[in-house]
Amino acid sequence: MALFGSDAPAPANQKVALINQIQQEAAMNNARQLISKVNEHCFAHCIPRPGSSLTSRDQTCLSQCMEKYISFWNTTSRTYGVRLASEQKKLAGQDVAAMNAFGTPSSE
Amino acid sequence: MDQQLDVSKLSEADKKELTQILTSEAQKSTIQQTVHHLSDICWKKCITGSISSGRLDQAEDTCAQNCVERWMDTNFAVLKHLETLRGGQ
Repeated sequence: MALFGSDAPAPANQKVALINQIQQEAAMNNARQLISKVNEHCFAHCIPRPGSSLTSRDQTCLSQCMEKYISFWNTTSRTYGVRLASEQKKLAGQDVAAMNAFGTPSSE
Repeated sequence: MDQQLDVSKLSEADKKELTQILTSEAQKSTIQQTVHHLSDICWKKCITGSISSGRLDQAEDTCAQNCVERWMDTNFAVLKHLETLRGGQ
């Protein structure tokens, strides 16, 4: 956009641009992985014996499989997130307990 | 970006902010990585029949949740046993 050389980006703008770029690339990376996994699993599931072309049945299966995989991913993500948070909470409590019991070897 | 950012020219506050953002993005990415892995292995265990709908049915949803929880339990069980093995030496 600096066609007329007027907007040499200020450092603050550059910083914002860098942050945006980092976040965008992270999101892209995540999406790319999801797509690759959908491809892998849905190909395995829907196309057991590859024919000379995709039948409409194959295509329906692929669409449904894709939607299902994304829902599945969301459930996995949610469950893992909740468990992770609860483990972290537990760990924080344990740290206090461990500090209180400092010097006594754990029997567990 | 058409212009390189010279990180050394950033203020201390900006550097700190960038570091924080990078750390949290890295953390997010690690978690997402695990979610991809979990979805991968749990899909194989939970989706065995033919797919007849794009929606996740109740049984599949429950299976996904159990799979994640038991995977975490397995993780901890392995660590715990490792601890006893090390203690027995």
